[in-house]
Amino acid sequence: MVNQILVNNLSKTYRVPERKPGLAASLKSLVRRTYRDVAAVRDISFAVEAGEMIGFIGPNGAGKTTTLKMLAGLLYPTSGEARVLGFTPWERRADYLRRISMVLGNKSQMLWEIPPLDTFRVLGEIYRVPPAEFERTLDELVELLEMQDLLTRPVRNLSLGERMKCELVAGLLYRPEVLFLDEPTLGLDVSMQGRLRRFLAEYNRRSGVMVILTSHYMADVVALCPRVILIHHGCLLYDGELSGLAERLAPFKLIRVALGNAQVRDGLDLPSGAEIIERENGRLTLRVARSKAPSITAYLLNALPVADLSVEDPPIEAVLDQIYEEGDA
Amino acid sequence: MNFRGGWALIKSTWLSWMQHRSFFFLLAFLWMISPLIYLFVWSTAAGDKTVEGLTRGEFVAYYLVLILVNQLTYSQTNWTVGDLIRDGRMNVLLLRPLSPLYDALSAEVASKVVYMAFAIPMAAILALVLRPELHVTPRGGLAFVPALALAGALRFFWGYWLALLAFWATRADALLALQDSLVFLLAGQVAPIALLPDLMQKAATVLPFRYMIGFPVEVLTGQLDGVELGIGFAFQAGWLGITLALFVAMWRTGLEHYSAVGG
Repeated sequence: MVNQILVNNLSKTYRVPERKPGLAASLKSLVRRTYRDVAAVRDISFAVEAGEMIGFIGPNGAGKTTTLKMLAGLLYPTSGEARVLGFTPWERRADYLRRISMVLGNKSQMLWEIPPLDTFRVLGEIYRVPPAEFERTLDELVELLEMQDLLTRPVRNLSLGERMKCELVAGLLYRPEVLFLDEPTLGLDVSMQGRLRRFLAEYNRRSGVMVILTSHYMADVVALCPRVILIHHGCLLYDGELSGLAERLAPFKLIRVALGNAQVRDGLDLPSGAEIIERENGRLTLRVARSKAPSITAYLLNALPVADLSVEDPPIEAVLDQIYEEGDA
Repeated sequence: MNFRGGWALIKSTWLSWMQHRSFFFLLAFLWMISPLIYLFVWSTAAGDKTVEGLTRGEFVAYYLVLILVNQLTYSQTNWTVGDLIRDGRMNVLLLRPLSPLYDALSAEVASKVVYMAFAIPMAAILALVLRPELHVTPRGGLAFVPALALAGALRFFWGYWLALLAFWATRADALLALQDSLVFLLAGQVAPIALLPDLMQKAATVLPFRYMIGFPVEVLTGQLDGVELGIGFAFQAGWLGITLALFVAMWRTGLEHYSAVGG
């Protein structure tokens, strides 16, 4: 497969004005402003192949959206290189912009006073979509998103979820090859989140569009992205399969034990490296050091009347929470 | 150049604006107030005589033409461009394979249609009541069209490059307010340029503001001889060239500073 996105040592540093609180500092800033450099993205490198769906994850302010904005040509990097579909994004060539799309969860490209269909037609003209292809694509997207009844209502009268459907149609009408999605399910109810996820998965399967998604909802990432890139404090911490994230970054596993005899003694004698984190009706959940999981499992099987036992990676949210907490410490 | 895209943008902006036409009619009315005040001040001052060679009817003609020229050249998007940059809404425009300039131009064209739907009937009614004396010569009529077009372009790009300062400073729109004050003083609104004190006349001749409003009005109302007309066009074209260069330079360097705030 050919890499359609190549990012090499990409960095972005913002220069932000800084002022201490108070009147004196306010007056001083009139004469002399002070600035602070904030490194939003630091030397990140990765490559993406055609058709991949990638989840960009990280806490608030990690640098996910800044990276996406550089790849979409909205921001100039401070240093480093990026090539998307053979173009340097921030040169913002029309041929490049016609082949990518960026859907921003909280920046709308719909005109509020008029029905979505009118905005779609304007976008069709801007992206020079031939009329027959426009109608075909619009019909397909409207059917997939089940939004036939929204097309003729003014956008201002639509709900948040309905507007997001419109944003997705607007972003896909010209069949882009790369789709940057920034928090597409932000603020949506669970049912609408699920519907949009199903749409994105189906659309990716049908069209082969490459998708890079940022979301704070791990359910989005779990449902859509076999591969994740974890960014924290602007640095790339992990790039690989979602299933490998816990293995690589969480130093512990969970052992769930159901005991045949419901009486679990309080003073259970556990080997070092194991910690009971949940105890309920003869069921125990232990957190154990990853390296000690096999020996502790063997110990439990020997020492206790075990009816059932499973060894699991911790939930992805717990792993991320731990990484974020450690990173902030 | 994507004219189809630009035309589609104009149509959609116009449709969108027509949903709020009463608001825009009110704006058009408010922009008439100041010229109307000066129309009454100067026409009253002239009475049955003349002021600096202008009769009461000529003052009426001057200000009625000025009302229309002012609204045709007024560039309200200059105010909105700074906001688009500050709050990150420019992101959506920058993602399109069409210069964001099209968006501003489409808003200008759409708005002119809405404003003129109000301003032309109003000016016609005022003309019936106030009886202007307008002596349009063939030369003045012919020269008015390019003078008006250049004035519109100059006012649009001058405001636009000032608005682009928002790439660097958060409150650059203060400069737009200053610009509007200078337009008020030196573009022929407070008084025809010929009536200004000597120093202000000289400043008005050299600075760009007269060429945004006053110059086309003077051309149509026959206040300029051939030499003055030539000098006026030279200044107008010169300032437009400088303004376009400033706009291009600010746009290119500004994009590198753009922080694309918001998601």
